[in-house]
Amino acid sequence: MRIVLIIVICALFVAFCLVLYARRRELRETFKLDIGNAVPKAAGGSDTSTETGFHRRLNGLRIFSGTIIGVLIARLWSMQLVSSDEYSKQAESNRTRTLTTSAPRGRILDRNGVELVANRSCLAVAAEPDVVDDEVEMMLLANLIGMPYYAVRRKIQNQNEGAQNKRTVAVDVSRRVVAFIDEHPYLFNGVAVEERTERLYPNGSLAAHVLGYTGTISQEALEWSEDPRNHEGIKYSAGDIVGQAGIEYQYESVLQGIRGEQVVYVDAYGSVLDSSASIDPQSGSDVVLTIDAKVQRTAEESLARVINQIRASGNKECNAGCAVAMDVTNGEIIALASAPTYNPSVFTGGISYDDWARLSSEDSASPLMNRVVSGLYPSASTIKPLGVLAALDYNIATPETSFYCSGFWTGFGEDAGQYCWDHYGHGGMNLQSGITYSCDIVFYEIGKGFYVADSEGLQETYRNWGLGTETGVDLPSEEPGRVPDAEWKWNYWDTSPDDVRQWQGGDSTNLSIGQGDILVTPLQMCCVYAGLATRGTMWKPHVLKSIRSATGSGTVIEHSPEINRSVTEPKTSYELVERGLKGVIYEESPAQAAHFTNMVETVAGKTGTAERAGREPTGWFIAFVPTDNPKYAVASLVEQGGYGSQSAMYVVRDIMGAIYDEPDTSDAVDETGAR
Amino acid sequence: MAADIGSAPAQRPLTTGRSQGEAQVQRRSKTGIGQSFYLPQLVPALLLISFGAVVMWSASLNIAAADFKRHMIGIVLGLIVMWFVRSYDYRAFANMSTALFVFDCILMVLPRIPGLGLSENGITGWVRVPFIPISFQPSEISKIVTIFLISSLGAQYNGRIETLRDYVKLCAILCVPFLLILVQPDLGTGLIVLVVGASIIIVSGAKPSWVWVTIGMIVAVAALAIATSMMDGVPHVLKEYQLNRLIVFVDPSVDPGGSGYNLQQAKIAVGSGGLFGKGIGNASQSGTGFLPEAQTDFVFALLSEEFGFVGSAGVLLLFGWMIFATISLAQRMDSPFAKLVLAGVATMWSFQVLQEAGMCIGIMPITGIPLPFISYGSTSMVIHCTAVGIVQSVWHHRTKAA
Repeated sequence: MRIVLIIVICALFVAFCLVLYARRRELRETFKLDIGNAVPKAAGGSDTSTETGFHRRLNGLRIFSGTIIGVLIARLWSMQLVSSDEYSKQAESNRTRTLTTSAPRGRILDRNGVELVANRSCLAVAAEPDVVDDEVEMMLLANLIGMPYYAVRRKIQNQNEGAQNKRTVAVDVSRRVVAFIDEHPYLFNGVAVEERTERLYPNGSLAAHVLGYTGTISQEALEWSEDPRNHEGIKYSAGDIVGQAGIEYQYESVLQGIRGEQVVYVDAYGSVLDSSASIDPQSGSDVVLTIDAKVQRTAEESLARVINQIRASGNKECNAGCAVAMDVTNGEIIALASAPTYNPSVFTGGISYDDWARLSSEDSASPLMNRVVSGLYPSASTIKPLGVLAALDYNIATPETSFYCSGFWTGFGEDAGQYCWDHYGHGGMNLQSGITYSCDIVFYEIGKGFYVADSEGLQETYRNWGLGTETGVDLPSEEPGRVPDAEWKWNYWDTSPDDVRQWQGGDSTNLSIGQGDILVTPLQMCCVYAGLATRGTMWKPHVLKSIRSATGSGTVIEHSPEINRSVTEPKTSYELVERGLKGVIYEESPAQAAHFTNMVETVAGKTGTAERAGREPTGWFIAFVPTDNPKYAVASLVEQGGYGSQSAMYVVRDIMGAIYDEPDTSDAVDETGAR
Repeated sequence: MAADIGSAPAQRPLTTGRSQGEAQVQRRSKTGIGQSFYLPQLVPALLLISFGAVVMWSASLNIAAADFKRHMIGIVLGLIVMWFVRSYDYRAFANMSTALFVFDCILMVLPRIPGLGLSENGITGWVRVPFIPISFQPSEISKIVTIFLISSLGAQYNGRIETLRDYVKLCAILCVPFLLILVQPDLGTGLIVLVVGASIIIVSGAKPSWVWVTIGMIVAVAALAIATSMMDGVPHVLKEYQLNRLIVFVDPSVDPGGSGYNLQQAKIAVGSGGLFGKGIGNASQSGTGFLPEAQTDFVFALLSEEFGFVGSAGVLLLFGWMIFATISLAQRMDSPFAKLVLAGVATMWSFQVLQEAGMCIGIMPITGIPLPFISYGSTSMVIHCTAVGIVQSVWHHRTKAA
């Protein structure tokens, strides 16, 4: 159709040119005749040259005009026929605009349906873009809301919400302001009061590190979502509120609603001429977490209290810690606390510069960091059960092997002597009592055994139990940690002399007591103890319980737990380790035992104390409960808070107390320095 | 002068000894409408005026400034003037060069007289006629006056300007109305006057070498004017907006929000028209304000958007037909004065089409001049109808055969 017409037009143009050409020929002939006839005339001479001169020059004028018409038509051809689609697209984008209405995000609930994050409707004053031209109106608005004139002006000029959309001037305005605007529509032309939804945290900072926070979409995220390769995801536009951390970030695609859209036709001045069909906004789905708000609150309060007590006792270095409680039978995280914490509500409506600077500064001990998944620490003595399992697997020792602890160990010679934490010595020890009393000598011997056998069995065992790998928890920013071995050390110290890079006996003994280069996250260690409790079945930790579709349609998608790894160890080994861990609770120190004998359930656990030269030690405590049919594993860590038995142990006990409704009634304080 | 008119070639039909059949054709057309009107030029002109009326009617649907009734008044006025001009013997102007020159200068000074002058868009180019609510642009009238002025002077040389002195004199006289328009300042109309005058001088028989030297000098002066306008500290010849238009013409992406905006929007309007256009009243670019001045300066973009390639190329072909017919008539006329006047009129149309359509599609810089017969504006309409009348007058007052 189109091609035919183009051909017809071409033909017409050619015909036109031919006609012109023919006429020119005809005229030339006429003049030729004329010249021929004029020659004999008396006045002929000059006339001839005059005539041909005019003729030539007028033909020149013809070429001039013909060229103009030709060039214009050629150009029109290329614009209107060749590149027409491109120009049409531009014209279309000129005249249409898409207005959007934001959809409320889904709520976040705890396992019992307690709202952790909800939405709150608030009244906002919004103004049409052209209100900026009316100074009097802006001044009135500024006085009414109680904002400076220039702030109002800047808000209306801000195009973040789209050129045609109304601009938010103020949120959470009072009823008085709303009433005044409603009663004086003639004064506030183009100003409207709108109902908005904002993130609401009914429990303040509770579970802040699990929940995360929301904020305006970043430029990179926006570009990523606009990339056609990622067309599966939600299409965002500038100014959209998205999850930035925690669950808000992890389940963004679930929580984010589908915004309403309306395509409108506008003129050059942005006035809406007509509108097409609109799509209503659809709110996001609710997310139900495995977190138990009650246990969570206890964990956070206990952590804060312990840290404050330690600080009150004179140790000002202690300012951070964390705790996590997990269901060992399915990986559900019941509580996850990290201190110091923050209130996610500072992020609603955009975080102020001061707040951000405060939250991200070194001095404030990184409140935004979720220490359970992102904090890396030496595991200290909490790793010792794995050392025992490794020793048994690789025949470095048997349950009958006896060790003697004099407080000082010279297994690698007098010069390389190492102390047990108890300088007075534990006396005769075996593998089980080595765990119970956390006797370092036992583990120096195990480390030496592996070193002498030139075996990396210790590392194998650690890795087998999930160290050095992310647990795969559904929270962002998880760290894998580090299990050092000879190859790692060689590469890590690549600028040092060979003898420094070489794996040495001291590295093996350090590794077996969990000090030195090993790094683990509290969540990894919690999973290890959950695995010890279940005798080898390690569930993937998770905080998502189910997703409920919005608007009460009742659809629920349950999260199905999955097994991360299954470790096989002899039953006798597990029993030995469990006896050792129970010993830690009930035998190692009477004061420690006092905190657990007031519970019905029997507990098995381990203290740990990560040493760093020149600093207060970081205390660990990890336990599972009850021992006859294990259900929960609880881990805690207090940074630079002294020995585990004097810090993290209280937090673990408080969490267990909250789970079983058996609060800690003991005020016994461990003076033995049990590690 | 008088010697040229009705000289030997007037007897041509008799002396060439045409065949009987040709004589009959001649005789038949003598009695028909073709005898009183030069149809090859009149028909396309009337078609353009009609099409212009359709375009302006469609523009009036969306653009408040386009008043269809006023446009029709302009057309009626133009047709009346055309009729009178056709009846008036154009040869009367052949000997009035001094009077024409004085008239031309007076026209240019009129807008400067307090109480008469009107300013629009920074150009003092309008004159209000006292006591009646009519205003007009003298610079438009000056185009026609200049055609007669230069033609009457050029015709004296009978096809060959022998001395450099005469050539320089012609150029100097042309410069007077040109400079007077420039100071209004109306660069667009000034350029038309200059190009039209130069075309007449060239056709008058100026030596090509002189012409080339003159063009070279004009280019040099223009370059100097642009260069000084871009430098700080020296007096600027071009206004800020004129310089911006030139910069944008070279690179439209420089400032699409400002000076480049109009050009960009005009091109979108033209390009999005496609083959058949968007139809009357559906021009989203020109109709909803994306393209400013769509009824005057950017009327070609408006009609290209509404009627597509069919419409825009059709308009250009009509112009081509009309211009070629005018030049053909000039070829046929014997009097140098008639030839020069027709050449001037043809050049005026060619250049205005080039300028107006060219700026809409980005091949000419933006200037505020109208598209003959189509743009909204009665002065322009009346002037171009006058030009049609002049061509018809030449035909009407040709030395008739037999």
